Amino acid sequence: MSRRAFPWILASLSLMLVLVVLGLRIGSFATDYAFIGRTLLNYNPDDPAQLALVQLRLPRIVMALLAGGGLAVSGYLMQAMVNNALADPYLLGTASGASLGAILCFSLLSNLTVAGIYLPPLAALVGALLTTLLVVALGSQRGQLIPGQLLLAGVAISSLTAALGGLLSFLSSSEGQLRTVVFWAMGSFERAGWDVLPYPALALGAALLLLVFLQKDLNVLLLGEERAQTLGVQVARTRWILVVTAATLTGCVVALCGPVGFVGLMVPHLTRWLLGVTGKANLLFCALLGADFLLGCDLLARLLYPPAGLPVGLITALFGVPFFVYLLRKKRVAL
Amino acid sequence: MRLYNRRRAYLCAMSRLLPSVFFSLPLLFLFAACQSNDKSAATATATAAAPQHVTDDLGHQLTIPARPRRIMSLAASMTEMLYAVADTATIVARTQVCDYPRAALRKPVISSYPLDLEGLVALHPDVVFTVEGITSLDDIARLEKLGIPVYCQRYTTAADILRGLTDLGRLLGRPVQARKLTDSLQVELQAMQQLPRPSRPPAVLAITWQDPIYVYGENTLFTDKIRLAGGQNAVTEHFAQPYPALTREYILKLNPDVLIGGSFGKLDSTFFKNYPELKRIKAYQNRRVYGITGDLMERPSPRVVESVRELQRLIGAPPAP
Repeated sequence: MSRRAFPWILASLSLMLVLVVLGLRIGSFATDYAFIGRTLLNYNPDDPAQLALVQLRLPRIVMALLAGGGLAVSGYLMQAMVNNALADPYLLGTASGASLGAILCFSLLSNLTVAGIYLPPLAALVGALLTTLLVVALGSQRGQLIPGQLLLAGVAISSLTAALGGLLSFLSSSEGQLRTVVFWAMGSFERAGWDVLPYPALALGAALLLLVFLQKDLNVLLLGEERAQTLGVQVARTRWILVVTAATLTGCVVALCGPVGFVGLMVPHLTRWLLGVTGKANLLFCALLGADFLLGCDLLARLLYPPAGLPVGLITALFGVPFFVYLLRKKRVAL
Repeated sequence: MRLYNRRRAYLCAMSRLLPSVFFSLPLLFLFAACQSNDKSAATATATAAAPQHVTDDLGHQLTIPARPRRIMSLAASMTEMLYAVADTATIVARTQVCDYPRAALRKPVISSYPLDLEGLVALHPDVVFTVEGITSLDDIARLEKLGIPVYCQRYTTAADILRGLTDLGRLLGRPVQARKLTDSLQVELQAMQQLPRPSRPPAVLAITWQDPIYVYGENTLFTDKIRLAGGQNAVTEHFAQPYPALTREYILKLNPDVLIGGSFGKLDSTFFKNYPELKRIKAYQNRRVYGITGDLMERPSPRVVESVRELQRLIGAPPAP
């Protein structure tokens, strides 16, 4: 780890600790620090307040951290892959595909739980992966991904899936269905539970581990395709790995939390601004920063509009965009 | 003899007079009828010339004919209200969601969402009735711009519904029918209040949607209905929305005695399967989870008494099997 990155990583970890503790305090049951300590050391599930702390607040916090980390890393990979600063994790149509899957589920099925499995996240994951597959198929020629073509295919397919989703929402038979779709499309961690957390955790862990070996190639790719090829990077192979990793990560997150926007666009920029374009710990820091940012947004959402909280996607945009514009105006951002 | 002659002269005179009287009678009746018709025509003209200037529950001022002859509703509950009070021949259409009473199904359908403005205008209604929150203010403004007055009602208590019926009776020129109906509803509601009640009103949480969990808030008709039924709305906090979204933690803290929103078996395999933490609430522990007739629960209509009766039965019911 470089000297430049170390203090930032330490700072992001400290911030995470503070946010986690604060997050454990926000909820309907009044819980002070002593109570939190007691619960974590000696958990009694018969006490409803302790149950809420361990089974509801904690998984929500972990979900926010994983989603933030996953989307930020995914955004970083997509920006490197197409070598375009405007790229984000939803470039491949993942968000609109997941939304279409979920809307299909909400609109067509009268019973959303079959054999004990809650179907919307599953449908969202299938929608996300199918759409990504379609975009990748349209954006590649002879097994090679063409970034420009991929971008356009992503825009076109996203528009199509969004239109289909819109049509289904418009035809939805009840106001409740419409509210579910709208609520889902703005992102939320309210449904988080320990049972689903292993999936995004595994996806993020595997992605970070894989990218440890690819970090160098990734950084070179950020300098441009020609330079990367000159420096011996297998551009085509690297791009495929990046696309598959980003799509899996984004698909997992979107399926569980809905399409939370802006994290994947902003956090990679912040990372490069703070650590430089070719920093060795960029991906790790990007994940930590994304996790902090999204958890912070969720806390704000819960504080601003208790008890249900505002959809977290609104907060990421409302508070993230002005900050991002401020950074851009300073013209010191390393794009 | 003289008497005989006199009688004869009288009969002759009468026989001469009777045909003329007989033939002139219809004329007399016709004349009288014409006079009466003239009178009602004069009254009608006078009434037609005096439209009603009224203010609806949202504070909108509008002018409607003295005796509206073509009316319609843009809400299922309002259609029920109109069928209870109005001359049903004057109801010119229903919306796609109006399915009660069955007679309403015979009326032509006008889409309320999205609003079929053209179809509605083509029906030339004298006035359109609706309920707050069902028709958008924008749609109301567009209709009024086209010269169609829209009368909107708001109900947060059962008394509001009775008042709404009275208002409709007055506006539609049928105050007697409205009074008869409201009196009988009032009597039934009062009779229910006399029935034995639980010593502590059970806290009842009614969910409207499972993902996210939306419930009947404190500022809805449900609060009054459940009070009349002998219980209390578990949601006592005031939220801006009538149907707020709640977190699982909030519901755990509310810990309702009764949960309404689906039968025990159905919710056990859906709601409680997705939110297993909520199995701790008293309603689940005591298997006091009940389904309810959607229309009765959702619609503020003259069937409010039926709805209260259903809630009362559930509150007093034994735990679900």
